[in-house]
Amino acid sequence: MVAMGFDAGRRLVVGAWGGVGLEGDWTTAGWGEGVEVAGGILHTILFHRALGLVRPKDIDLELFEITYVQCGDTELEKKIDEKIEQFIDRVEKHPNKKNQVCLSFYEVKNKQPSWFTNKVERLHWEQWNINLNVAQHPKTHSGKSHHSKVLVDPGDSALEERSIRRAALETSLREVLFQIIKFVNEKKDHVPSIPNLEGVSFPYEITISSSSDSAFGMDMFKRMLQTGHPTMLS
Amino acid sequence: MDLQSGPHGDYGRFEQILSQFLLKSLHIVLDSRVPSIRPRGGRGRLLSGAQSKKNDKWFSLALGDRPSALGNLNFWHRNLMEPMVIDIILVQEMQSDQDMYVSSGLGTVVETLIERWVVQCESGSPMGFHGDSSASHKKTYKKLIILLRSLYSTMRLLPAHRAFRKLCLSSKGCDFDIIYKVSSFSAPFSRTEEEVMKQYVFIPVDAPQGRLSISVTYRESLSDFNLETSASFPPQIITDYVGSPATDPLRAFPSTDKGFCVTSVPSRGMQSSSSIPFQRPHSWTGGLHRGAPLGRNLPLGGSPPAYPSSLGQYEAASPPTDNYRFQNYRQPNHHKATSFDDYQLSPPFSASPSPSPSPSPPTYLSSGNPVQNRTRGESSPVSIPHPMLGRSPRYLSPNLSDPNRNSLPPLSPRSLKHDPSYQDSPSGIRSWRRSDLTRTGDPSSGIINYYSGQKGSRDSKDDSGRFSALLSSSGSPRVGLSRSSSRFSFQDDLDDSDFSCPFIVDDVDTPEMQARQNVDGNRASELTSQTFGVGRKSQDAAVGALVHMLRTAPPLRQDSSCYSSRSLNPGLEGDAGTASGFFLPRKTSDALEELRVYKDVKDLLLSKSGARFVSKEDTTG
Repeated sequence: MVAMGFDAGRRLVVGAWGGVGLEGDWTTAGWGEGVEVAGGILHTILFHRALGLVRPKDIDLELFEITYVQCGDTELEKKIDEKIEQFIDRVEKHPNKKNQVCLSFYEVKNKQPSWFTNKVERLHWEQWNINLNVAQHPKTHSGKSHHSKVLVDPGDSALEERSIRRAALETSLREVLFQIIKFVNEKKDHVPSIPNLEGVSFPYEITISSSSDSAFGMDMFKRMLQTGHPTMLS
Repeated sequence: MDLQSGPHGDYGRFEQILSQFLLKSLHIVLDSRVPSIRPRGGRGRLLSGAQSKKNDKWFSLALGDRPSALGNLNFWHRNLMEPMVIDIILVQEMQSDQDMYVSSGLGTVVETLIERWVVQCESGSPMGFHGDSSASHKKTYKKLIILLRSLYSTMRLLPAHRAFRKLCLSSKGCDFDIIYKVSSFSAPFSRTEEEVMKQYVFIPVDAPQGRLSISVTYRESLSDFNLETSASFPPQIITDYVGSPATDPLRAFPSTDKGFCVTSVPSRGMQSSSSIPFQRPHSWTGGLHRGAPLGRNLPLGGSPPAYPSSLGQYEAASPPTDNYRFQNYRQPNHHKATSFDDYQLSPPFSASPSPSPSPSPPTYLSSGNPVQNRTRGESSPVSIPHPMLGRSPRYLSPNLSDPNRNSLPPLSPRSLKHDPSYQDSPSGIRSWRRSDLTRTGDPSSGIINYYSGQKGSRDSKDDSGRFSALLSSSGSPRVGLSRSSSRFSFQDDLDDSDFSCPFIVDDVDTPEMQARQNVDGNRASELTSQTFGVGRKSQDAAVGALVHMLRTAPPLRQDSSCYSSRSLNPGLEGDAGTASGFFLPRKTSDALEELRVYKDVKDLLLSKSGARFVSKEDTTG
């Protein structure tokens, strides 16, 4: 399995409920790349999990020679774009923290109304965690980025380095998309029955979290507790 | 929805799923690789709209009308358990002399297998009743949906997709073509082919009746083929979009050793219409490379599509006369009409009790239809990025007399915030993204971007430096150049007509980008001095823009010589002899206008240099 970006750190997390979580560290060199990487990954995952009738739409990335597929659902596109914007905002505000986009699919279980809660329970059956870091330019955020910095030298070498970096990122992104395709096919048994809906067939949510390293695991733990599953990630 | 009980009923259902799966796979592969397969303008529509909708619902993947070629394949006569082998073949005509145009008999047609898709069902346990078969069919169907989505996505990630895109995007004059062959057996690869081919196997779907699998053997790299749109057919530029026809043709890929091998009949006599294969009609006429296949197959009569003719060699079981019986699309041996119709009407295993859902037209189908028709296999319009984002100046022709370039650079400092990298502006990204949202939802209005997709140019550009060429959904081969709103929101304010040549602006911006990455003031002043007519092409372009702007500015006097001197040193205009007349009260408004123009120019220069300097204008104005 290949890590994407410049920091190799990736592990496959298999949740006890049969879902699959993909964690990885990706570092992009700029906002534009971050936007495209996030969008490509999210849409690709959703294209393989929105099992209602879709009319697929090809999207060519501008920064990479990669074409990915969207579901052709304008609402979905809007939502993802909003989330990516939120993500960028978050990264801007917390450049030193680990920023994660989490896409999870769930089933809605109507909990029996009790005295304590009328909440509808969400049963998450698949969760994708995407750690995406956008490297800040050292001129403005020098010393603050704890990931690989972009070394900028005056002259053409900076451009050359950027193009090399981008080519590497493109290769990594393509490999990750292949990995996503492989995962969505490997793990299919846990996917619920497809309701008679068009487009996005399963409810999903995209959350953006930004935590320091120590608190990051707690966020995930809390999220798991909210789903009602007693077991933890191994 | 009925539930056929018993092994025969189960297998009949499975057979139906399997046959639709094979058809859908074939549709995906051909739709993603062979531009000529698509029905255009109603021609080649295999089925009525209702049937087409039913086909779309299979596996929840709406691909539009099935090409008539699918019907011509006489699909239903084949043994479903035999593998379906789809060969995607790149056809090139090698020129034997300097002549760029194909003339009969002079070129050698070379076919190279670039992809081989194998879709098959390996029979598993004998057909038997496996407990809750309805549930197992549902599960199988669900998994096949995901598998087909993966197939669709993967086709866009493989190398051959680029060749397909180039073929789609070129209005005419592609020097290559892509054809296909469908058969039930796969000829072994030669040793050379094996060395350059890679294999990718999708995770198969296990059903009680067998294992359904898709695999592909593909060429890792198509760079050997020097795929390029023909230089003799440069993209047509619509003047009302671009304004200036001065655009260099694409720089060709660097020629490499052409080590490809021929996997089929190497040369064949070209028909009199030998030039046809290298034109791309926009209406479906049965394939492009008509001359070649017809050379070795008897035509079926009339104007037969080439591919079904060639298929006659491979599908021995399919009599040619069946090729045009579109009604044969349904299974001839299908005895369960009721359940078949149910399947046709709805995904067979929907949770809804009603067999045929009454879907309200989804928004993406109704509003997005023009977009989809264009984007399937092509792409949604990709904006031409702001010229600041960098582009190779190789294919940029400096039009020094362009009057409109000056409108762009002064606004670039807005993007710079505190980040010298132009693309590192988050808010700029957002405006870009927002414009993308509006852009993708916009049906074709004839705005077409020119797609370069060249690696070489990519090396020198920093961000989103691609032009995309699209055919408009009307099918007319109009190619225009336009700029969509880039991440710099000021682009929205610019009228397209003011923007005549994006390439020119890129030239202007190239040193800008370098200057941004160097906040050294010395370099800035060097850049400033370079702006005045010395050095690289981009500075020349800037000077040209400046000169032209000044020349076309509303004159205070009808004296061009005064303008040329002013362009070099606005502050000295008072010293230019007759300059005293510039400040006559009755021309104050004109002078103020001119001053504003000078200030704009100053801002332009300052933005390039990245430094501020005191201008004499402020003191003399």
